[in-house]
Amino acid sequence: MAKINMCGVRKTFGNGHTALKEMDTEFQTGTFTVILGPSGAGKSTLLRLVNGLEPLTSGEITVDGIPVRGKNLKKIRGDVGMIFQQFNLIGRLNVMTNVLVGRLWNRPWLTSVLYLFGREDRAIAEKVLMRVGLAEKAWERADRLSGGQQQRVGIARALAQEPRVILADEPVASLDPVTGDNIMQILREICDRDKITMIVNLHQVDLAKRYADRVIGLNAGEIVFDGTPKLLDSSILSHIYRRNSVVKETTPDALLAYA
Amino acid sequence: MPSWPTRSGLPPAGVITTLMITATILLWAAPRAEMDPLRLFRSLPSLLDFAGKILVMPEWEYLPRLGQKMAETVMITILATSIALAASIPLGILAARNTSPHPVVFHATRSLLSAVRALPELVWALVFVSAVGLGPLPGVMALALVTMGFMPKFFAESFEVVDPHPIEGVVAHGANWLQVRLYGYLPLAMPDCIGTTIYILDHNLRSAAILGIVGAGGIGYDMVMAVRLFDYDRLLLIALSIYFIVTLLDRASDRLRAKVT
Repeated sequence: MAKINMCGVRKTFGNGHTALKEMDTEFQTGTFTVILGPSGAGKSTLLRLVNGLEPLTSGEITVDGIPVRGKNLKKIRGDVGMIFQQFNLIGRLNVMTNVLVGRLWNRPWLTSVLYLFGREDRAIAEKVLMRVGLAEKAWERADRLSGGQQQRVGIARALAQEPRVILADEPVASLDPVTGDNIMQILREICDRDKITMIVNLHQVDLAKRYADRVIGLNAGEIVFDGTPKLLDSSILSHIYRRNSVVKETTPDALLAYA
Repeated sequence: MPSWPTRSGLPPAGVITTLMITATILLWAAPRAEMDPLRLFRSLPSLLDFAGKILVMPEWEYLPRLGQKMAETVMITILATSIALAASIPLGILAARNTSPHPVVFHATRSLLSAVRALPELVWALVFVSAVGLGPLPGVMALALVTMGFMPKFFAESFEVVDPHPIEGVVAHGANWLQVRLYGYLPLAMPDCIGTTIYILDHNLRSAAILGIVGAGGIGYDMVMAVRLFDYDRLLLIALSIYFIVTLLDRASDRLRAKVT
């Protein structure tokens, strides 16, 4: 339900490393975009900029026309859910509370200090837990769950905030292939049913081919490919995954074996 | 011929330097602190004499008053620690580098805590006794104040070592400043903070046991008087009861710690 615009986006870290160079692109409402690229290409940075977890060096990102910066951050983060590789749950809290964290942006501070939530918040949390198939785990401690279950709690937390955008930073990198595929199915279903704009960083080319509407190849902070997953062939993949700007002549058999 | 795992086979230069500096400081300080082994050795008979005297028949008639005074000591401990605990969570948040709203607040809170710690609880107790009069009240005030001086520092250190990734998970969903602390840092640092609180409870019980010296309630007055008046039959009971309560607390805390992970 939201369109993201990136205009001249540049990110240079304090140590002088430029993670993203002059990026211009947009993400259409309700599309499923997968970002591929070698480690250190700037994939995580890109997602973190959209959520305001990292400040921009220059350029502008807007979510439905609202710039991601300063005073808007709380509103933006209320609209943009995030899913992490390491799930980033509060392990000691139960599953329900972790999901309700997704409601905090919408809660008055006084009751949230007492860990009190409204009836409608509770209803939303129960609904999203049902949706990811974890209704019966609601009262267990989050760190007692398996990796795949924890990631589903992460998805439920993002869904609980009723977002318009979901960013997923390598959501399946810590999971086995079957569980990872299951997580991707859930994300795809959310994208289709709720028309939520989905941006997912991945290392698995096969998953990108199966689930994405659009694939962006990122290398050394620049977009080196932008198109449908059908176009991904060995020459494009070796272009996306090239090291030090030198295109490897060898076909990436290992990558294709995966695909 | 054994050797150390270094290039030269000698101990590392850092270790040798540290040992030499430590030895120099000790040799310089010992005579100034009147650390005289001979004097200790010569006093051995009187120390043994004391040890012999304390092993006497306890003064059983003292038991009711002992119970009352020990109960008072425990009350002072619990009240002071609870008051300090309530203040230490917000103070700890202000005093941790990563949870403080501003570096100025962080430094100001840390200095304030050090300032409170500058005087020991006995001196604070004297101050409060002269302000509010004798009894357990000044004891509770003094102990709570000094505990507020170091408990937030421990809490702040627990907040500072919290794993930043789950925190990001809370931040990314639009939680505000206070919510991030309550739903992120606090639950993550909870086991550490509970451990600290138990340790402080143990420490404060020992502190509360001497507050009575200056008239601030608890068993302290009786304990000092027993020593001064050579009432070893009474001192024995006091020592045993403190030992008993500390052991009890130890057992309880072991169980609690095993539960909270």
